[in-house]
Amino acid sequence: MEIIEQKHDKYYFFKLNGRLDSNTSLGFEKKLFEAIKDGSTRMVIDFEDLDYISSAGLRVILKATKDLKRSEGTLILCSMQDYVKEVFEISGFDTFLPIVASRTEAISRVSG
Amino acid sequence: MAETFISLILSNKLSELDALTRGLEQFGAAAGLSTKCIFELSLAMEELFSNIVAHGYPENTDHWIRIHISRKQEMLIIRLEDEGVPFDPNLADIPDISCSVENRKIGGLGVHLIKHLMNDIVYKRCGNRNILILKKFLAAS
Repeated sequence: MEIIEQKHDKYYFFKLNGRLDSNTSLGFEKKLFEAIKDGSTRMVIDFEDLDYISSAGLRVILKATKDLKRSEGTLILCSMQDYVKEVFEISGFDTFLPIVASRTEAISRVSG
Repeated sequence: MAETFISLILSNKLSELDALTRGLEQFGAAAGLSTKCIFELSLAMEELFSNIVAHGYPENTDHWIRIHISRKQEMLIIRLEDEGVPFDPNLADIPDISCSVENRKIGGLGVHLIKHLMNDIVYKRCGNRNILILKKFLAAS
């Protein structure tokens, strides 16, 4: 899996490419929590090129959401493929996580 | 009608996940499964496999996990066999998925996903082996 990172003034941006599974989720968790530790509290994760996610990936997202909630931060996910979005829905993650259609929308929400 | 099947023997290591994924993609193409169905099959199989790797062998020794998947008309039949500690997914605790994020537990989601993605799950303990037979109706996905 490829992970692209961008640090902006108002938010931290991740773009995932490939599969977020039991093997790759650990690497992503490390990067995500490094950014949080560095003081970023507003995050966008772009799922446009993510083809697959399992519970190992969901676990990382949940951990980060809990962590950011404590520091009154925000995590917004965008551009999810249908199958991936379904996994979030089956797991009930769509009830507490904002999932928006486009990167532009995510950025405008996180910067607002 | 012809039966398409795949048999995999994997070691209880997470590094085998790529071999599992490749095997499932090849099987899916040969069996004429939709992309969505291959996705769901991969997801259920990863959850089952990673559960065995993480919890099946507390003593951390090397073991085989046997997987057989076949398509019979509009049904997938999956047989999974391992020698780990007894584990019946039907009896596993299901996370409360409607609670607030603060109370959401990290973990337990794998079994929840498996139950959602499969239509039938039968567990048997035979000697020192766990045998799981799962069915997925293709029309339902």
